Amino acid sequence: MTNDIVLETQNFGYTYGDFSAVRDLSIQVRRGELYALLGTNGAGKTTTLETLEGHRKPTAGKVAVFGGDPTDRKDIRPRMGIMLQESGFAADLNVRESILLAGAISGRQDDVDRVLAAVDLVDKATTRVGQLSGGQKRRLDFAMAIWGTPELLFLDEPTTGLDPSARDGLWDVVAGLRREGVTVILTTHYLEEAQKHADRIGLMHGGRLEREGTLAELVAGELSHISFVAPAGSELPLPVASSVNGLTTIETDDLQRDLYVLLGWADRGGHRLERLSATSSSLDDVFRSLATH
Amino acid sequence: MFSIAAAELKMLVRNRLVAICAILMPLGLGLVFLVRGTTEGAPALAAIQIMAMVSLGVYITATTTLAARRQTLFLKRLRSGAVSDGSIITGLVAPIVIVSIVQVGIVLTALSVSAGAPPANVGLLIVALLATEAMFVGFALATAGVTNSPEHAQVTTLPLFFAILGVTVWVTFTGFGDLGWLKRLLPGGGATELIITAWSGGDLSSVASLIAPTLAWAVLGVFAAKAMFRWEPRA
Repeated sequence: MTNDIVLETQNFGYTYGDFSAVRDLSIQVRRGELYALLGTNGAGKTTTLETLEGHRKPTAGKVAVFGGDPTDRKDIRPRMGIMLQESGFAADLNVRESILLAGAISGRQDDVDRVLAAVDLVDKATTRVGQLSGGQKRRLDFAMAIWGTPELLFLDEPTTGLDPSARDGLWDVVAGLRREGVTVILTTHYLEEAQKHADRIGLMHGGRLEREGTLAELVAGELSHISFVAPAGSELPLPVASSVNGLTTIETDDLQRDLYVLLGWADRGGHRLERLSATSSSLDDVFRSLATH
Repeated sequence: MFSIAAAELKMLVRNRLVAICAILMPLGLGLVFLVRGTTEGAPALAAIQIMAMVSLGVYITATTTLAARRQTLFLKRLRSGAVSDGSIITGLVAPIVIVSIVQVGIVLTALSVSAGAPPANVGLLIVALLATEAMFVGFALATAGVTNSPEHAQVTTLPLFFAILGVTVWVTFTGFGDLGWLKRLLPGGGATELIITAWSGGDLSSVASLIAPTLAWAVLGVFAAKAMFRWEPRA
Protein backbone atom coordinates (compact mmCIF):
# COMPACT_ATOMS: atom_id res chain seq x y z
CA MET A 1 0.00 0.00 0.00
CA THR A 2 1.45 3.36 -0.99
CA ASN A 3 1.15 6.45 1.20
CA ASP A 4 -1.43 7.77 -1.21
CA ILE A 5 -3.83 4.89 -0.51
CA VAL A 6 -5.88 5.59 2.60
CA LEU A 7 -8.09 2.57 2.49
CA GLU A 8 -7.85 -0.77 0.75
CA THR A 9 -9.72 -4.06 0.69
CA GLN A 10 -8.46 -7.21 -1.02
CA ASN A 11 -10.98 -9.97 -1.72
CA PHE A 12 -12.83 -8.89 1.40
CA GLY A 13 -15.74 -11.08 2.42
CA TYR A 14 -18.14 -11.18 5.35
CA THR A 15 -20.55 -13.95 6.27
CA TYR A 16 -23.31 -14.10 8.88
CA GLY A 17 -23.62 -17.83 9.55
CA ASP A 18 -24.39 -19.32 6.14
CA PHE A 19 -25.32 -16.00 4.58
CA SER A 20 -22.65 -14.26 2.58
CA ALA A 21 -23.22 -10.51 2.98
CA VAL A 22 -20.09 -9.35 1.13
CA ARG A 23 -18.07 -11.36 -1.38
CA ASP A 24 -14.69 -10.79 -2.94
CA LEU A 25 -14.71 -7.01 -2.59
CA SER A 26 -11.55 -5.21 -3.66
CA ILE A 27 -11.42 -1.42 -3.57
CA GLN A 28 -8.81 1.27 -3.06
CA VAL A 29 -9.48 4.84 -1.94
CA ARG A 30 -6.82 7.51 -2.37
CA ARG A 31 -6.07 10.40 -0.05
CA GLY A 32 -8.44 13.33 -0.55
CA GLU A 33 -10.97 11.34 -2.59
CA LEU A 34 -14.70 11.25 -1.96
CA TYR A 35 -15.68 7.66 -2.67
CA ALA A 36 -19.38 6.82 -2.72
CA LEU A 37 -20.36 3.25 -1.98
CA LEU A 38 -23.85 2.76 -3.33
CA GLY A 39 -26.03 -0.25 -3.73
CA THR A 40 -29.41 -1.87 -3.67
CA ASN A 41 -31.06 -2.78 -0.35
CA GLY A 42 -29.14 -5.64 1.26
CA ALA A 43 -26.20 -5.16 -1.10
CA GLY A 44 -23.72 -5.31 1.76
CA LYS A 45 -22.89 -1.59 2.02
CA THR A 46 -23.40 -1.29 5.77
CA THR A 47 -21.44 -4.48 6.50
CA THR A 48 -18.63 -3.17 4.30
CA LEU A 49 -18.69 0.24 5.93
CA GLU A 50 -18.78 -1.18 9.44
CA THR A 51 -15.81 -3.40 8.64
CA LEU A 52 -13.88 -0.46 7.23
CA GLU A 53 -14.75 1.50 10.38
CA GLY A 54 -13.41 -1.33 12.52
CA HIS A 55 -16.73 -2.39 14.02
CA ARG A 56 -16.39 -5.85 12.45
CA LYS A 57 -13.53 -8.13 11.46
CA PRO A 58 -13.59 -9.51 7.90
CA THR A 59 -14.32 -13.22 7.62
CA ALA A 60 -12.32 -13.39 4.37
CA GLY A 61 -9.69 -11.31 2.62
CA LYS A 62 -7.91 -8.21 3.90
CA VAL A 63 -9.02 -4.76 4.98
CA ALA A 64 -6.48 -2.03 5.68
CA VAL A 65 -7.00 1.59 6.69
CA PHE A 66 -3.93 3.82 6.79
CA GLY A 67 -2.01 0.62 6.18
CA GLY A 68 -3.21 -0.88 9.46
CA ASP A 69 -6.02 -2.80 11.04
CA PRO A 70 -9.14 -0.59 11.36
CA THR A 71 -10.05 -2.34 14.63
CA ASP A 72 -6.91 -0.79 16.13
CA ARG A 73 -8.56 1.90 18.24
CA LYS A 74 -5.36 3.28 19.67
CA ASP A 75 -3.53 4.17 16.46
CA ILE A 76 -6.06 4.08 13.62
CA ARG A 77 -9.32 5.32 15.17
CA PRO A 78 -8.07 8.80 16.13
CA ARG A 79 -7.56 9.39 12.40
CA MET A 80 -11.18 8.47 11.56
CA GLY A 81 -14.46 10.33 11.99
CA ILE A 82 -17.52 8.11 11.89
CA MET A 83 -21.08 9.26 11.24
CA LEU A 84 -23.23 6.23 11.98
CA GLN A 85 -26.41 5.44 10.08
CA GLU A 86 -28.37 5.34 13.33
CA SER A 87 -27.58 7.88 15.97
CA GLY A 88 -27.03 6.20 19.36
CA PHE A 89 -27.23 9.28 21.53
CA ALA A 90 -27.75 9.67 25.25
CA ALA A 91 -31.12 11.41 25.49
CA ASP A 92 -30.33 12.95 28.89
CA LEU A 93 -27.15 14.72 27.78
CA ASN A 94 -27.40 18.07 26.04
CA VAL A 95 -25.94 18.83 22.63
CA ARG A 96 -22.76 20.46 23.95
CA GLU A 97 -22.11 17.61 26.40
CA SER A 98 -22.72 15.02 23.67
CA ILE A 99 -20.20 16.64 21.35
CA LEU A 100 -17.68 16.99 24.17
CA LEU A 101 -18.10 13.31 25.06
CA ALA A 102 -17.63 12.23 21.45
CA GLY A 103 -14.63 14.53 21.23
CA ALA A 104 -13.10 13.18 24.43
CA ILE A 105 -13.22 9.60 23.16
CA SER A 106 -12.17 10.47 19.59
CA GLY A 107 -8.49 10.97 20.35
CA ARG A 108 -8.58 14.36 18.56
CA GLN A 109 -8.67 17.94 19.81
CA ASP A 110 -11.11 20.66 18.78
CA ASP A 111 -13.20 23.58 20.03
CA VAL A 112 -16.80 22.69 20.82
CA ASP A 113 -18.07 26.14 19.82
CA ARG A 114 -16.42 25.85 16.41
CA VAL A 115 -18.05 22.47 15.84
CA LEU A 116 -21.46 23.69 17.05
CA ALA A 117 -21.25 26.61 14.62
CA ALA A 118 -20.17 24.36 11.74
CA VAL A 119 -23.35 22.29 12.04
CA ASP A 120 -25.58 25.24 12.95
CA LEU A 121 -26.50 23.94 16.40
CA VAL A 122 -25.25 26.88 18.49
CA ASP A 123 -28.77 27.80 19.65
CA LYS A 124 -29.40 24.16 20.64
CA ALA A 125 -26.18 23.76 22.65
CA THR A 126 -27.97 23.39 26.00
CA THR A 127 -30.95 21.43 24.66
CA ARG A 128 -31.16 17.81 25.72
CA VAL A 129 -30.65 15.43 22.82
CA GLY A 130 -33.96 13.72 23.54
CA GLN A 131 -35.73 16.97 22.61
CA LEU A 132 -34.05 17.39 19.21
CA SER A 133 -35.78 16.76 15.90
CA GLY A 134 -34.56 13.99 13.60
CA GLY A 135 -32.72 16.47 11.40
CA GLN A 136 -31.03 18.14 14.37
CA LYS A 137 -29.89 14.74 15.65
CA ARG A 138 -28.42 14.02 12.22
CA ARG A 139 -26.48 17.29 12.40
CA LEU A 140 -25.30 16.39 15.90
CA ASP A 141 -24.11 13.05 14.54
CA PHE A 142 -22.21 14.90 11.82
CA ALA A 143 -20.70 17.23 14.42
CA MET A 144 -19.35 14.27 16.37
CA ALA A 145 -17.80 12.82 13.20
CA ILE A 146 -16.02 16.01 12.12
CA TRP A 147 -14.66 16.83 15.60
CA GLY A 148 -10.94 17.48 15.30
CA THR A 149 -10.95 17.26 11.46
CA PRO A 150 -10.23 13.55 10.98
CA GLU A 151 -8.09 12.42 8.04
CA LEU A 152 -10.77 9.93 6.99
CA LEU A 153 -14.48 10.62 7.34
CA PHE A 154 -17.20 7.96 7.06
CA LEU A 155 -20.62 9.34 6.21
CA ASP A 156 -23.37 6.73 6.37
CA GLU A 157 -26.58 8.22 4.93
CA PRO A 158 -25.56 11.67 6.19
CA THR A 159 -28.47 13.71 4.83
CA THR A 160 -31.38 11.41 5.64
CA GLY A 161 -34.01 13.51 7.42
CA LEU A 162 -32.35 16.84 6.62
CA ASP A 163 -34.19 19.65 4.88
CA PRO A 164 -32.63 21.01 1.66
CA SER A 165 -31.03 23.95 3.43
CA ALA A 166 -29.44 21.72 6.08
CA ARG A 167 -28.25 19.36 3.35
CA ASP A 168 -26.54 22.22 1.57
CA GLY A 169 -24.96 23.27 4.86
CA LEU A 170 -23.63 19.77 5.47
CA TRP A 171 -22.16 19.52 1.98
CA ASP A 172 -20.54 22.95 2.41
CA VAL A 173 -18.76 21.64 5.51
CA VAL A 174 -17.72 18.48 3.65
CA ALA A 175 -16.37 20.65 0.82
CA GLY A 176 -14.33 22.62 3.37
CA LEU A 177 -12.95 19.43 4.87
CA ARG A 178 -12.00 18.16 1.44
CA ARG A 179 -10.06 21.36 0.79
CA GLU A 180 -8.06 20.39 3.89
CA GLY A 181 -7.35 16.99 2.32
CA VAL A 182 -9.87 14.88 4.21
CA THR A 183 -10.81 11.59 2.53
CA VAL A 184 -14.53 10.81 2.59
CA ILE A 185 -16.37 7.49 2.29
CA LEU A 186 -20.05 8.06 1.61
CA THR A 187 -23.09 5.83 1.44
CA THR A 188 -26.40 7.37 0.50
CA HIS A 189 -29.72 6.61 -1.12
CA TYR A 190 -29.77 10.10 -2.63
CA LEU A 191 -28.06 9.26 -5.92
CA GLU A 192 -27.98 12.89 -7.00
CA GLU A 193 -25.72 13.64 -4.01
CA ALA A 194 -23.29 10.90 -5.00
CA GLN A 195 -23.48 12.10 -8.59
CA LYS A 196 -22.72 15.67 -7.54
CA HIS A 197 -20.04 15.16 -4.91
CA ALA A 198 -18.27 11.83 -5.46
CA ASP A 199 -14.97 11.51 -7.30
CA ARG A 200 -15.53 7.81 -7.76
CA ILE A 201 -18.50 5.55 -7.16
CA GLY A 202 -18.68 1.87 -6.33
CA LEU A 203 -21.97 0.10 -6.99
CA MET A 204 -22.74 -3.01 -4.94
CA HIS A 205 -25.40 -5.60 -5.57
CA GLY A 206 -25.87 -8.98 -3.91
CA GLY A 207 -22.73 -8.57 -1.82
CA ARG A 208 -20.47 -7.88 -4.80
CA LEU A 209 -18.97 -4.76 -6.30
CA GLU A 210 -20.66 -4.77 -9.70
CA ARG A 211 -19.40 -1.48 -11.14
CA GLU A 212 -16.82 1.12 -10.13
CA GLY A 213 -15.54 4.32 -11.66
CA THR A 214 -16.14 8.02 -12.12
CA LEU A 215 -19.64 9.18 -12.94
CA ALA A 216 -18.66 9.63 -16.59
CA GLU A 217 -17.28 6.10 -16.74
CA LEU A 218 -20.35 4.60 -15.11
CA VAL A 219 -22.93 6.30 -17.33
CA ALA A 220 -20.87 5.94 -20.52
CA GLY A 221 -22.86 2.98 -21.83
CA GLU A 222 -26.25 4.24 -20.68
CA LEU A 223 -28.86 5.81 -22.97
CA SER A 224 -30.26 9.34 -22.62
CA HIS A 225 -33.98 10.04 -22.94
CA ILE A 226 -36.17 12.52 -24.84
CA SER A 227 -39.81 12.66 -23.76
CA PHE A 228 -42.75 14.62 -25.22
CA VAL A 229 -46.38 14.36 -26.22
CA ALA A 230 -46.26 13.32 -29.87
CA PRO A 231 -48.47 15.36 -32.23
CA ALA A 232 -51.47 13.29 -33.34
CA GLY A 233 -51.17 11.60 -36.75
CA SER A 234 -47.57 12.57 -37.31
CA GLU A 235 -44.71 10.23 -38.18
CA LEU A 236 -41.75 10.84 -35.88
CA PRO A 237 -38.19 11.11 -37.29
CA LEU A 238 -36.74 8.81 -34.59
CA PRO A 239 -37.70 5.34 -33.32
CA VAL A 240 -39.95 5.37 -30.25
CA ALA A 241 -38.78 3.40 -27.20
CA SER A 242 -42.03 3.62 -25.28
CA SER A 243 -45.32 5.47 -25.11
CA VAL A 244 -47.05 5.65 -21.74
CA ASN A 245 -50.02 7.85 -20.81
CA GLY A 246 -49.59 9.83 -24.02
CA LEU A 247 -45.94 10.55 -23.25
CA THR A 248 -43.59 9.31 -25.94
CA THR A 249 -40.01 8.46 -25.00
CA ILE A 250 -37.05 8.18 -27.35
CA GLU A 251 -33.80 6.60 -26.18
CA THR A 252 -30.55 7.88 -27.60
CA ASP A 253 -26.82 7.38 -27.28
CA ASP A 254 -26.25 10.89 -28.68
CA LEU A 255 -28.61 13.32 -26.99
CA GLN A 256 -27.46 16.47 -28.80
CA ARG A 257 -27.68 14.92 -32.28
CA ASP A 258 -31.12 13.35 -31.83
CA LEU A 259 -32.57 16.38 -30.04
CA TYR A 260 -31.40 18.50 -33.00
CA VAL A 261 -33.10 16.04 -35.41
CA LEU A 262 -36.35 16.10 -33.43
CA LEU A 263 -36.51 19.89 -33.02
CA GLY A 264 -35.66 20.39 -36.69
CA TRP A 265 -38.49 18.04 -37.67
CA ALA A 266 -40.93 19.85 -35.35
CA ASP A 267 -39.87 23.24 -36.66
CA ARG A 268 -40.23 22.28 -40.29
CA GLY A 269 -43.62 20.62 -39.78
CA GLY A 270 -44.97 23.27 -37.43
CA HIS A 271 -45.46 20.65 -34.67
CA ARG A 272 -45.66 21.68 -31.03
CA LEU A 273 -43.95 19.19 -28.68
CA GLU A 274 -45.87 19.48 -25.40
CA ARG A 275 -44.08 18.49 -22.13
CA LEU A 276 -40.76 18.20 -23.95
CA SER A 277 -37.84 17.13 -21.76
CA ALA A 278 -34.35 15.81 -22.43
CA THR A 279 -32.49 13.84 -19.77
CA SER A 280 -28.86 12.83 -19.92
CA SER A 281 -27.93 9.35 -18.82
CA SER A 282 -27.57 9.38 -15.04
CA LEU A 283 -26.60 7.28 -12.09
CA ASP A 284 -30.29 6.45 -11.68
CA ASP A 285 -30.20 4.54 -14.95
CA VAL A 286 -27.06 2.64 -13.98
CA PHE A 287 -28.57 1.87 -10.59
CA ARG A 288 -31.86 0.66 -12.06
CA SER A 289 -30.12 -1.58 -14.56
CA LEU A 290 -28.09 -2.99 -11.68
CA ALA A 291 -31.19 -3.60 -9.55
CA THR A 292 -32.97 -5.46 -12.36
CA HIS A 293 -29.79 -7.32 -13.32
CA MET B 1 -12.94 6.55 30.64
CA PHE B 2 -13.41 9.57 32.92
CA SER B 3 -15.45 11.45 30.31
CA ILE B 4 -17.72 8.42 29.88
CA ALA B 5 -18.07 8.07 33.66
CA ALA B 6 -18.87 11.79 34.04
CA ALA B 7 -21.50 11.58 31.30
CA GLU B 8 -22.98 8.44 32.84
CA LEU B 9 -23.21 10.12 36.25
CA LYS B 10 -25.08 13.06 34.69
CA MET B 11 -27.50 10.66 33.02
CA LEU B 12 -27.98 8.79 36.28
CA VAL B 13 -28.97 11.95 38.11
CA ARG B 14 -31.00 13.58 35.33
CA ASN B 15 -33.30 10.69 34.54
CA ARG B 16 -35.83 10.71 37.39
CA LEU B 17 -36.84 7.06 37.06
CA VAL B 18 -33.24 5.88 37.00
CA ALA B 19 -32.35 8.20 39.88
CA ILE B 20 -35.15 6.76 42.00
CA CYS B 21 -34.23 3.15 41.18
CA ALA B 22 -30.47 3.56 41.49
CA ILE B 23 -30.15 6.12 44.27
CA LEU B 24 -33.26 6.47 46.41
CA MET B 25 -34.54 2.88 46.48
CA PRO B 26 -31.34 1.22 47.73
CA LEU B 27 -30.88 4.03 50.23
CA GLY B 28 -34.50 3.69 51.39
CA LEU B 29 -34.15 -0.10 51.64
CA GLY B 30 -31.04 0.25 53.78
CA LEU B 31 -32.68 2.76 56.07
CA VAL B 32 -35.80 0.60 56.48
CA PHE B 33 -33.64 -2.26 57.78
CA LEU B 34 -32.04 0.21 60.16
CA VAL B 35 -35.23 0.49 62.22
CA ARG B 36 -34.59 -3.00 63.57
CA GLY B 37 -30.99 -2.27 64.51
CA THR B 38 -29.65 -3.55 67.85
CA THR B 39 -26.10 -3.95 69.13
CA GLU B 40 -26.31 -7.76 68.95
CA GLY B 41 -28.01 -7.83 65.60
CA ALA B 42 -25.87 -5.12 63.95
CA PRO B 43 -23.38 -7.47 62.15
CA ALA B 44 -26.15 -9.53 60.53
CA LEU B 45 -28.12 -6.40 59.75
CA ALA B 46 -25.07 -4.82 58.12
CA ALA B 47 -24.66 -7.92 55.94
CA ILE B 48 -28.31 -7.86 54.85
CA GLN B 49 -28.16 -4.11 54.22
CA ILE B 50 -25.04 -4.34 52.08
CA MET B 51 -26.22 -7.33 50.07
CA ALA B 52 -29.67 -5.85 49.49
CA MET B 53 -28.40 -2.38 48.62
CA VAL B 54 -25.62 -3.52 46.31
CA SER B 55 -27.78 -6.08 44.55
CA LEU B 56 -30.39 -3.40 43.89
CA GLY B 57 -28.06 -0.43 43.36
CA VAL B 58 -25.32 -2.14 41.37
CA TYR B 59 -26.53 -5.47 40.00
CA ILE B 60 -29.97 -4.41 38.77
CA THR B 61 -28.98 -0.84 37.89
CA ALA B 62 -25.84 -1.81 35.95
CA THR B 63 -27.66 -4.59 34.06
CA THR B 64 -30.47 -2.19 33.17
CA THR B 65 -28.05 0.57 32.19
CA LEU B 66 -25.96 -1.65 29.91
CA ALA B 67 -29.10 -3.03 28.24
CA ALA B 68 -30.47 0.49 27.76
CA ARG B 69 -27.21 1.85 26.35
CA ARG B 70 -27.03 -1.06 23.93
CA GLN B 71 -30.67 -0.72 22.87
CA THR B 72 -30.21 2.97 22.01
CA LEU B 73 -26.95 2.16 20.15
CA PHE B 74 -25.04 4.32 22.63
CA LEU B 75 -22.56 1.47 23.15
CA LYS B 76 -21.94 1.37 19.41
CA ARG B 77 -21.41 5.13 19.47
CA LEU B 78 -18.84 4.78 22.25
CA ARG B 79 -17.13 1.98 20.32
CA SER B 80 -16.74 4.36 17.37
CA GLY B 81 -14.17 6.26 19.40
CA ALA B 82 -10.58 5.54 20.28
CA VAL B 83 -11.18 4.08 23.75
CA SER B 84 -11.00 0.38 24.57
CA ASP B 85 -13.94 -1.85 25.43
CA GLY B 86 -12.64 -2.14 28.99
CA SER B 87 -12.58 1.64 29.39
CA ILE B 88 -16.11 1.92 28.02
CA ILE B 89 -17.50 -0.65 30.46
CA THR B 90 -15.52 0.83 33.34
CA GLY B 91 -16.78 4.30 32.48
CA LEU B 92 -20.38 3.12 32.39
CA VAL B 93 -20.25 1.06 35.58
CA ALA B 94 -17.93 3.19 37.76
CA PRO B 95 -20.52 5.89 38.64
CA ILE B 96 -23.01 3.20 39.65
CA VAL B 97 -20.43 1.57 41.92
CA ILE B 98 -19.35 4.90 43.43
CA VAL B 99 -22.94 5.89 44.18
CA SER B 100 -23.48 2.47 45.76
CA ILE B 101 -20.39 2.80 47.97
CA VAL B 102 -21.57 6.21 49.17
CA GLN B 103 -25.05 4.81 49.87
CA VAL B 104 -23.67 1.90 51.87
CA GLY B 105 -21.35 4.27 53.74
CA ILE B 106 -24.28 6.45 54.77
CA VAL B 107 -26.45 3.55 55.90
CA LEU B 108 -23.67 1.71 57.78
CA THR B 109 -22.68 4.92 59.55
CA ALA B 110 -26.29 5.36 60.60
CA LEU B 111 -26.39 1.71 61.74
CA SER B 112 -23.28 2.00 63.86
CA VAL B 113 -24.68 5.12 65.51
CA SER B 114 -28.17 3.76 66.10
CA ALA B 115 -26.94 0.35 67.31
CA GLY B 116 -24.22 1.95 69.40
CA ALA B 117 -21.69 -0.52 68.02
CA PRO B 118 -19.26 0.52 65.29
CA PRO B 119 -17.67 -2.20 63.15
CA ALA B 120 -14.76 -3.92 64.85
CA ASN B 121 -12.61 -4.11 61.72
CA VAL B 122 -13.32 -1.19 59.40
CA GLY B 123 -10.51 -2.12 57.01
CA LEU B 124 -11.89 -5.62 56.51
CA LEU B 125 -15.39 -4.22 56.13
CA ILE B 126 -14.15 -2.00 53.28
CA VAL B 127 -12.48 -5.02 51.66
CA ALA B 128 -15.72 -6.98 52.05
CA LEU B 129 -17.73 -4.15 50.49
CA LEU B 130 -15.35 -3.83 47.54
CA ALA B 131 -15.36 -7.59 46.95
CA THR B 132 -19.16 -7.57 47.06
CA GLU B 133 -19.30 -4.66 44.59
CA ALA B 134 -16.93 -6.55 42.26
CA MET B 135 -19.04 -9.70 42.47
CA PHE B 136 -22.23 -7.84 41.57
CA VAL B 137 -20.51 -5.98 38.71
CA GLY B 138 -19.41 -9.36 37.34
CA PHE B 139 -22.97 -10.67 37.61
CA ALA B 140 -24.33 -7.52 35.97
CA LEU B 141 -21.98 -7.84 32.99
CA ALA B 142 -22.96 -11.48 32.53
CA THR B 143 -26.69 -10.83 32.93
CA ALA B 144 -26.52 -7.88 30.52
CA GLY B 145 -25.35 -10.38 27.91
CA VAL B 146 -28.71 -12.15 28.01
CA THR B 147 -30.80 -9.01 28.49
CA ASN B 148 -32.30 -7.42 25.39
CA SER B 149 -33.79 -4.27 26.89
CA PRO B 150 -34.15 -2.33 30.16
CA GLU B 151 -37.63 -3.84 30.55
CA HIS B 152 -36.19 -7.32 30.03
CA ALA B 153 -33.70 -6.61 32.84
CA GLN B 154 -36.59 -6.62 35.31
CA VAL B 155 -36.98 -10.32 34.52
CA THR B 156 -33.41 -11.47 33.87
CA THR B 157 -32.05 -10.06 37.14
CA LEU B 158 -34.70 -11.61 39.37
CA PRO B 159 -33.32 -15.18 39.71
CA LEU B 160 -29.88 -14.12 40.88
CA PHE B 161 -31.26 -11.22 42.95
CA PHE B 162 -33.51 -13.52 44.97
CA ALA B 163 -30.94 -16.33 45.09
CA ILE B 164 -28.29 -14.07 46.61
CA LEU B 165 -30.71 -12.51 49.07
CA GLY B 166 -31.82 -16.02 49.99
CA VAL B 167 -28.25 -17.10 50.64
CA THR B 168 -27.66 -13.92 52.69
CA VAL B 169 -30.71 -14.56 54.87
CA TRP B 170 -29.77 -18.25 55.21
CA VAL B 171 -26.25 -17.41 56.39
CA THR B 172 -27.31 -14.61 58.78
CA PHE B 173 -30.09 -16.66 60.35
CA THR B 174 -28.37 -20.05 60.61
CA GLY B 175 -24.76 -19.03 61.22
CA PHE B 176 -21.60 -20.39 59.65
CA GLY B 177 -21.49 -23.84 61.23
CA ASP B 178 -23.86 -26.16 59.39
CA LEU B 179 -22.90 -26.64 55.74
CA GLY B 180 -20.41 -23.80 56.16
CA TRP B 181 -18.38 -24.76 53.08
CA LEU B 182 -21.52 -24.75 50.94
CA LYS B 183 -22.62 -21.37 52.26
CA ARG B 184 -19.22 -19.90 51.42
CA LEU B 185 -19.28 -21.27 47.89
CA LEU B 186 -22.77 -20.04 47.06
CA PRO B 187 -22.96 -16.56 45.48
CA GLY B 188 -23.12 -14.00 48.27
CA GLY B 189 -22.44 -16.53 51.02
CA GLY B 190 -18.75 -15.76 51.43
CA ALA B 191 -19.40 -12.02 51.24
CA THR B 192 -22.11 -12.21 53.91
CA GLU B 193 -19.86 -14.11 56.29
CA LEU B 194 -17.02 -11.69 55.58
CA ILE B 195 -19.17 -8.64 56.43
CA ILE B 196 -20.40 -10.25 59.64
CA THR B 197 -16.84 -11.21 60.60
CA ALA B 198 -15.60 -7.67 59.90
CA TRP B 199 -18.37 -6.04 61.91
CA SER B 200 -18.29 -8.39 64.89
CA GLY B 201 -14.52 -8.79 64.99
CA GLY B 202 -14.54 -12.56 64.55
CA ASP B 203 -11.81 -15.00 63.60
CA LEU B 204 -9.66 -13.57 60.77
CA SER B 205 -8.05 -16.89 59.80
CA SER B 206 -10.82 -17.69 57.37
CA VAL B 207 -10.79 -14.29 55.61
CA ALA B 208 -8.98 -15.56 52.51
CA SER B 209 -11.44 -18.42 52.10
CA LEU B 210 -14.28 -15.89 52.22
CA ILE B 211 -12.80 -13.35 49.81
CA ALA B 212 -11.70 -16.00 47.30
CA PRO B 213 -15.16 -17.37 46.40
CA THR B 214 -16.59 -13.83 46.28
CA LEU B 215 -13.93 -12.68 43.82
CA ALA B 216 -14.19 -16.00 41.96
CA TRP B 217 -17.84 -15.21 41.28
CA ALA B 218 -16.79 -11.80 39.97
CA VAL B 219 -14.22 -13.38 37.65
CA LEU B 220 -16.74 -15.99 36.54
CA GLY B 221 -19.20 -13.19 35.75
CA VAL B 222 -16.60 -11.37 33.65
CA PHE B 223 -15.74 -14.57 31.74
CA ALA B 224 -19.43 -15.24 31.12
CA ALA B 225 -19.81 -11.64 29.93
CA LYS B 226 -16.88 -12.04 27.54
CA ALA B 227 -18.68 -14.96 25.94
CA MET B 228 -22.19 -13.52 26.00
CA PHE B 229 -21.97 -9.73 25.99
CA ARG B 230 -23.20 -7.99 22.85
CA TRP B 231 -22.41 -4.41 21.92
CA GLU B 232 -25.29 -4.00 19.51
CA PRO B 233 -28.94 -5.05 19.65
CA ARG B 234 -29.74 -8.38 18.08
CA ALA B 235 -30.67 -7.81 14.43
